[in-house]
Amino acid sequence: MLFLQLLVDGLQLGALYALMAVGFAVIFGSTRVFHYAHGTTYVIIGYLFYWLAERLHVPWWLAAAFAAFAGVVFGVALDRYVYRPIQRDEGSFFTVFVASFGIGVVAENIIIILFGASFVSISTPLTRAADVGGGIVVSYLGIFSVLAAGLLFTFLNWFLARTDVGVALRALSENPELVRGFGLNPRKLSQYTFALGSLLVAPAALVATCVTGLTPTAGHRVVLISIAASIIGGIGSLRGAGLGGLILGLAESLAVWKLSTGWSEAVAFVILLGFILARPSGLFGTRARV
Amino acid sequence: MVGYILNLLILVSISGILAASLNFIIGYAGIYSMAHAAFFGIAAYTGALIALHVSASLLVAIPAAMAMCAALSLVISLPSLRVRGEYFVVASLGLQMIAFTVFSEWKDVTGGLGGITGVPIATLFGYKLRSLESFLVVSLACLAFVTGVIYVLARTSFGRSLRAIRDNEVAAAAFGKNPTLVKTIAVAISSALCGIAGVLYAFHVSFVNPETFTVDQSVLIMAMIIIGGTGTVFGPILGALIIHLLPAGLTYLTFLPARELASMQQIIYGGAMVLLMIYRPSGIIGRANLKDTWSK
Repeated sequence: MLFLQLLVDGLQLGALYALMAVGFAVIFGSTRVFHYAHGTTYVIIGYLFYWLAERLHVPWWLAAAFAAFAGVVFGVALDRYVYRPIQRDEGSFFTVFVASFGIGVVAENIIIILFGASFVSISTPLTRAADVGGGIVVSYLGIFSVLAAGLLFTFLNWFLARTDVGVALRALSENPELVRGFGLNPRKLSQYTFALGSLLVAPAALVATCVTGLTPTAGHRVVLISIAASIIGGIGSLRGAGLGGLILGLAESLAVWKLSTGWSEAVAFVILLGFILARPSGLFGTRARV
Repeated sequence: MVGYILNLLILVSISGILAASLNFIIGYAGIYSMAHAAFFGIAAYTGALIALHVSASLLVAIPAAMAMCAALSLVISLPSLRVRGEYFVVASLGLQMIAFTVFSEWKDVTGGLGGITGVPIATLFGYKLRSLESFLVVSLACLAFVTGVIYVLARTSFGRSLRAIRDNEVAAAAFGKNPTLVKTIAVAISSALCGIAGVLYAFHVSFVNPETFTVDQSVLIMAMIIIGGTGTVFGPILGALIIHLLPAGLTYLTFLPARELASMQQIIYGGAMVLLMIYRPSGIIGRANLKDTWSK
C-alpha cells in the first residue's frame, strides 16, 4: 500500500519534473545555451504569482497569466542582453554558463531582500487531498499537474511538427548555418526558443508554488533536475526530457520506500551519474559523442 | 584587530589554494568542475576524522585527505571525461549534490547537519600550531607549495599536453596523446591539491559541517578564478583576496542595512560574474586575448 501511494506521489512529482525539464530541453537543444537561469525563471514566476495572488489578492488566473508573461520577458531579455553579447565574440559554452549562474545569484538575492529567505506558499483548496479508494490519497493539483504535462507534451509535439516556427526551431538545433542559408534568422529563432522554453516552465512553477511552496533558492534544484532529465532523456529530445523528468520523480518518490527521506534528494543525481557512465547519449539521444 | 586580520589572511590562503587548484583544471585543461566544494568537504571531513581518531599531525592528515580526494575524483572523471565537456560540468554538479547529501545524512560518520566538533589543534613535526601566527605561516607555505606545484606542472610536458588537449583535442590525440588519461590525471591532481585546503580549514575552524560545502561554495571558488583571471598563476589568489575583502569592505558602508549585507555581497559578485563574462571573460589579470583561454 505504501508502495502504491509512493508510486502515485512519484507520478505527480515526475509530471512536475517533466514540465520543468522540457523548457530547459527546448532551450538547450536548439541554442546550446547552458541556461542555468532556467531555475531563476521558475522562481521569478513563482514569486510573482505568490505576490499577486496571495498578497495583492489579484484573481488567480490573472496572476498566473501575468507571472508567466513576466517569465517569458525575463527569458527573452536574458538571451538578448546577456547571452547574445557573449556569443558574439568567442562565446564558449562555459562563459555563457557562468554568466547565467551569475544572473541566478543576483536574482535570488534580490528576491531574498524583497520577500525574505524563508519559505512562501499559496493556500488553495485545490491542494486538499482526496481519497481515491483503497487509502491512496491524491490532491486535485496533483491530478492537474499530470494532465497539464500530458496536454503540454501533445501541444509541443504538434507545434514542433506542424508549424513553421516549430520546424524552424528543430532545424536550428540540427544546423544553425543551414537555417541561415534558408534565409531564416537564427537570432530571431533563438528568441522564440527562449520565449517557448520560459513559458513551458510556468505551469510547473505555478503548481509547485501551491503544492510544495517556494524559497528563493529553489531555482538551483529546478535547473539541476532539468539538466539531469535532459541528459537522461538525451540532449535534443523533448520526449526524452519529459520521460527523464518522470523517471526522476518516480525514483525520488520510490526511494523513500527503502531509504530515509534525506537521502532521496541524491537519488536523481546517482541516476544521472549512472547514465553518463553507461549511456551518455541518454534514452533517445543520438549525438552525445565528441 | 590583529586576530581578525590574521584570521582573514588564513582564510584567504585557504581560498587561494582552492582557487589555484581549480584553476589548474579550468585554466590549463579546459575542464570545468562544479564539484570543488565537494572535494573541499571530503578533505575537511577526512582531516577532521583523522585528527580525532588517528593523529593531529598535518603530515598524516594532509596526505590522507589528498589521497582520498584523488581517488574520489575518479567517480566523476572516469564516466564523463570520455564524452563532451558539457558532461563533466553536469557530472560534477551531480557529484556536488550527492556529496552534500552524504555530508548531511551519513550521520554515523559525518555527524549530520551538526557536523564534527572539537577537532584538536594541528601539530607539525611534534609542535602544536596553537597561535594564529604559526597557523598562518603553515597556510601560506601550503599556498606557496600548491602554486609552485601548478607553476612547475604547467611547464612540464604534462602541462603542455594539457594545453594541447584544451586547444584541440583531436589534434592532440593525433600526436599520440591520450586525452582521457591526461585529463583524468589532471582532475586527480587538482582534487588532491584542493584536499590540502580542506584539512587546513578543518583544523583552523576546529569543526566541519555540511553548510560550508554547498554548490554555492563551488561557485564562489569559480568566481574567484574568473574574477582574478583563469590560466594565470596569481589570478586565483587575487580573486580569493577580492572575494574575502568584499564582505569586510561592505561592513564599512554604513548606509547599507546590516540584515541585507550577505545578500548585497552575493549580488555584487553575481553581477561581477555576468559583467566580466560579457566584457572581459579572461578576468582582471587574464590574457586579453580570449582565444588562448576560452576558445575550447
